[in-house]
Amino acid sequence: MTVSRRDFLKQSLVVSSATATGLLPVSEVANAAVKSAEAGWRWDRGVCRFCGVGCAIQIATENGRIVATKADVDSQVNRGLTCIKGYFNGKIIYGKDRLTQPLLRMKNGKFDKQGDFVPVSWDRAFDEMEKQFKRSYRELGPTGVGFFGSGQQTVQEGYAAVKLFKAGFRSNNIDPNARHCMASAVAAFMQVFGIDEPSGNYDDIEHTDTMVLWGANMAEMHPVLWMRITDRKMKEPNVRVVNLTTASNMSSNIADMEIVFKPSTDLAIMNYLAREIVTRDAVDWEFVNKHCAFAAGPTDIGYGMRGTDKFDYPAEKDTNAKELVMQLNAAEAVAQGKQAGATVEQKNRATPDKHWLISYADFKKGVAPYTLDFVAELAKGDPDESLDDFKAKLKLLADLYIEKSRKVVSFWTMGFNQHQRGTWVNEQAYMLHLLLGKQAMPGNGAFSLTGQPSACGTAREVGVFSHRLPADMVVNNPKHRDFSEKLWKLPAKTLNPKVGSHFTKLLRDLEDGSMKWAWIQVCNPFQDTANANHWIKAAREKDNFIVVSDGYPGISTKVADLVLPSAMIFEKWGAYGNAERRTQLWREQVPPPGQARSDVWQIIEFSKRFKLKEVWGEQKIPGLKDDGFADGKLPDVLSGSSYSPDATLYDTLFATAENKQFKWPDKIANGHANHTAALLGGDWFPEKALFEEYAQFGRGHAHDLADFDVYFRDDVRGLKWPVVDGKETHWRFNEAYDPYVKKGSGFDFYGSAFKSLPRGDLEGITDQAKVDISGKAKIFFRPYAAPAEEPDQHYDLWLSTGRVLEHWHSGTMTRRVRELHFAVPSALLYMHPDDAKARGLKQDDAAWIESRRGKIKAVVETRGRRNRPPKGLVYVPWFDEGVFINKVTLDATCPISKQTDFKKCAVRIYKA
Amino acid sequence: MRHVSVVIRTFVGIALMAAASSFAASAIPENSMGLSKTSVFATPTPKVYQENPEQPGSSKLLPRAYLGAPPQISHSISDFLPITPQSNMCIACHNQPSQWGQKLEKGMATPIPPSHYTDLRNAPGKVTENLVGARYNCNQCHVPQTNAPALVGNTFSGGRVR
Repeated sequence: MTVSRRDFLKQSLVVSSATATGLLPVSEVANAAVKSAEAGWRWDRGVCRFCGVGCAIQIATENGRIVATKADVDSQVNRGLTCIKGYFNGKIIYGKDRLTQPLLRMKNGKFDKQGDFVPVSWDRAFDEMEKQFKRSYRELGPTGVGFFGSGQQTVQEGYAAVKLFKAGFRSNNIDPNARHCMASAVAAFMQVFGIDEPSGNYDDIEHTDTMVLWGANMAEMHPVLWMRITDRKMKEPNVRVVNLTTASNMSSNIADMEIVFKPSTDLAIMNYLAREIVTRDAVDWEFVNKHCAFAAGPTDIGYGMRGTDKFDYPAEKDTNAKELVMQLNAAEAVAQGKQAGATVEQKNRATPDKHWLISYADFKKGVAPYTLDFVAELAKGDPDESLDDFKAKLKLLADLYIEKSRKVVSFWTMGFNQHQRGTWVNEQAYMLHLLLGKQAMPGNGAFSLTGQPSACGTAREVGVFSHRLPADMVVNNPKHRDFSEKLWKLPAKTLNPKVGSHFTKLLRDLEDGSMKWAWIQVCNPFQDTANANHWIKAAREKDNFIVVSDGYPGISTKVADLVLPSAMIFEKWGAYGNAERRTQLWREQVPPPGQARSDVWQIIEFSKRFKLKEVWGEQKIPGLKDDGFADGKLPDVLSGSSYSPDATLYDTLFATAENKQFKWPDKIANGHANHTAALLGGDWFPEKALFEEYAQFGRGHAHDLADFDVYFRDDVRGLKWPVVDGKETHWRFNEAYDPYVKKGSGFDFYGSAFKSLPRGDLEGITDQAKVDISGKAKIFFRPYAAPAEEPDQHYDLWLSTGRVLEHWHSGTMTRRVRELHFAVPSALLYMHPDDAKARGLKQDDAAWIESRRGKIKAVVETRGRRNRPPKGLVYVPWFDEGVFINKVTLDATCPISKQTDFKKCAVRIYKA
Repeated sequence: MRHVSVVIRTFVGIALMAAASSFAASAIPENSMGLSKTSVFATPTPKVYQENPEQPGSSKLLPRAYLGAPPQISHSISDFLPITPQSNMCIACHNQPSQWGQKLEKGMATPIPPSHYTDLRNAPGKVTENLVGARYNCNQCHVPQTNAPALVGNTFSGGRVR
């Protein structure tokens, strides 16, 4: 008998664990060495630059450079821990190819789209940027220009950009990469609760005994939360962790149960669980009757594709045609109570978000077809697993949710959000928790995690979206515009009531020529947007002008016409808001290199180049139709106002008398510099002024932030809003914790959006009379729907994409850190060994990955070290610009949220 | 003659280099920028990188990125994954509290430090006998290194013990 090394090590593990006692004090020598090294260092607080967890860190600087970072032991979020990326928050800013001067494409001293990049002064850069902006703005109006923002912008950056675009340029063409990340979560929050963002907080992990991951590989994407979950699991024998996923992954290693399902069948599994709750008589009727209402919406809503074949490659046409007419497959027909093979015209493409109240009887009718037999057959994702085993797992999952004494938290991220029915599947998570009365209390709740460090704090709360204004307000609501116009001191009807282009549509607008000028900050849209071949070609070959502000050159920089060097995270003052509503602020730690400058400065400086008469006169808005507005036009709001036509947007929006009351220097700086303030004259504090102005939107409206200075107090490590009377809110909508809840109600889902609705049944509205459901959350019935593109004989495998622990997004920061790059130097094609073999491929072979939209090459990985896809599905991370997987992916979106589904399209794979 | 041609070639080479460098200072082609020195329209063939073949016990420790940074894994871990609640091959060798403060003999595993036996959330300041659960997934902070070349240099200089 041979003993493998693994077995040997397993045995030695037992031995060494048994003998591991005999504690020694930490070496005095080591302590002394640390003290000597730290002697000239200045430590100050910061927030991790990367994911949505929002770990607090401490930053050490010496002689104007960051020399170390460490996890903050006083932070409730991460208690002295960060992940491997987090340890390199300092190093990410020191890559040798930092952008340090503006670069403009030129030939013979003039801008030329075909020219190479030439270093120019900031003045020259702004001159060209202004000239090109005004050319597009004059020709096409406010919709001819656009801004790509980010869930990694600071609160102040997002706010300044929104104000410049919406109030200044009267353009709603501003949208964040967060659209790709959590728009489906937002849409579901608004439809279910009438207000955005989670009720719970990360302490739910320590309060609960059951954690269910739905399309969230937290071990890699939310590593510090995974450390907390692992800790909880290792301590408490009763704790159960379930990982639902389309490919086995690192989270499965710690989970008690892994459920591998077919793409999109999470919708069906959810309804099976709802059906179990109903048939086992497990509905918490006291909670549901008092706090909930049942609802449904249309199913013929399209797939977020363009609805025209004008720009299609020939191979794309068949998938894209489904946008208008879809033929239901057998499972879908059962799931929706329709005939198999029926062709369904997608009639509600323009109104996918409409919904109405239904009865409980209708809800029951909706979930009735989702029996264990039907769902197991449809959803089983691993062909090598037996149907009986899969059924047993689904049943156990239902038991865990339903068990009365068990607390349950459901976590999800991109698996739900990047989904052609992303809003629906988010809503189904709330459906379960609301039916069971397990929501908005410690250890109980459906918890939507975010991907980016300020997807919540900036993109969502500030409203850096084409339809939003700060504090959950929207541009197409006259009361919200009125409130914002008053707060911003704008003449009435300055704000544009027509929703602008979402992130993917901004790129489509570049291709079809309806937008000719774009500014990109803190994101990499030409790498991170699906179906990228269209967009890079449009950028380089169409008549347009693209400005990219960035710290490093990436794909978007390479297709830009003008590159602006940006200050990175700790080279500026900023604020981020994480996924548990926690706002955290930091000071400028080190100066930016060369001529790199903060994005806040870039936005404010650019605003100096516009006079009100250039933007606040009559403007054309194609397709605008709204009460109080002439069709297709924004009115002249300047004549008759008290503003001078020659006043600049800088005077009007930023350097206002109120803002200039926030003086620089400020004692809160505690010796730290502010290059933004210095460049803007040195007498006011732009980041504090912008923060305080922005905070006025949310105070008194259940989005209350504390004062700027409070966040820098020694005893504060961020605060979870609403912050009322100096106290943060741990669990929202729960009377015991949330000061906005009506006294005596117990729970109050007080969000005000979509709370007055008509009544109907599963098919549609039957009674237009509106019913008021204030204070209630909605339990939606949402059916299973097949994705627009599934594997067939030509493209026979599913492709799913995502991230890796070691790299952040498009890799522009983390791939410049050798420790992280050496760990994961390139994106691999993770596939089942049998699928590889069937295609004549083996480990380390280069393979083509081809879809209807494009093809790229990647190296095959079949050893199952990180991801272990089932037969029929392959997985490719998107961080590597050399393995440009978004040239292959499909730009279908959830029609309600407009968030792209990066998790499913059909590909074929063959030897390169 | 041969000698002359070498001189001429060298001269031309220098002249070209000078021209190239002055060109580079004034104009930067997009294909020379970024991590993939190629056109955005190109489809490069990715290289295969090898995992570190060094075995535990004989590998050379890697330098820390800075004082306080988690050390990288200096040896192959391909046989040791995955880490599950039932099996953690890392702690089999590295769980050695008796070695704290001792000189590391050749071939011995670096002991997991006392910080990892301190529950910072629930009992800060107290070193216990057990590795804290939050530190159980070693490869969330410690990663092995392949033989890939760096894509671009980095000037970060971490604090060092003086």
